[in-house]
Amino acid sequence: MSVTEEIRTALEKAFSPSELEVVDDSERHRGHAGYQEGGESHFNVRIRSGAFAGQSRIARHRAVHAALGPDLVGRIHALSLDIGE
Amino acid sequence: MTDAKTLIDETVKSNDVVLYMKGTKEMPQCGFSSRVAGVLNYMGVDYTDVNVLADDAIRQGIKDYSDWPTIPQLYVKGEFVGGCDIITEMTLSGELDTLFAENGVAFDKDAADKIREANA
Repeated sequence: MSVTEEIRTALEKAFSPSELEVVDDSERHRGHAGYQEGGESHFNVRIRSGAFAGQSRIARHRAVHAALGPDLVGRIHALSLDIGE
Repeated sequence: MTDAKTLIDETVKSNDVVLYMKGTKEMPQCGFSSRVAGVLNYMGVDYTDVNVLADDAIRQGIKDYSDWPTIPQLYVKGEFVGGCDIITEMTLSGELDTLFAENGVAFDKDAADKIREANA
């Protein structure tokens, strides 16, 4: 399973999102720190789920980090999150 | 607490605004750190920058301190505010202005408005 699919699977399971986009943005970071050949290092995630209702920005980000787990988070160089209800 | 955590705790509590980043505010070494430092620089905020690339113990220690896996990390009056995504959102929504105002941190309101106009 690709990292993109791992992220998608983990977030779908945790939040049953109404919208979910997982974009491998690695190519845009070619030559920057953390870039690796083949991509899968830099990701942009846009997620919308009722599960985030009433949560602060930090709580939302923490919930996503927790859903992905330390192993997956550790393998991703950069993760940009756009989280909403 | 470990030495690194003790040092971090002292740093964030004895300085009003602290940015843990890759590189320095004059020469950021990462696009995400650069974006947050750029906002603070442009808004004329007086802040302390800590280059995590200069110290592996701090680089790991700051992640443990806040239970937050990424850098940059912004602290105001000892409280963790967020990373690049959160600071960007708070800049554009005006929440960062409010946070600074409530904590007595001086900043250039006109500059903050210009950032919002440019990103409207």
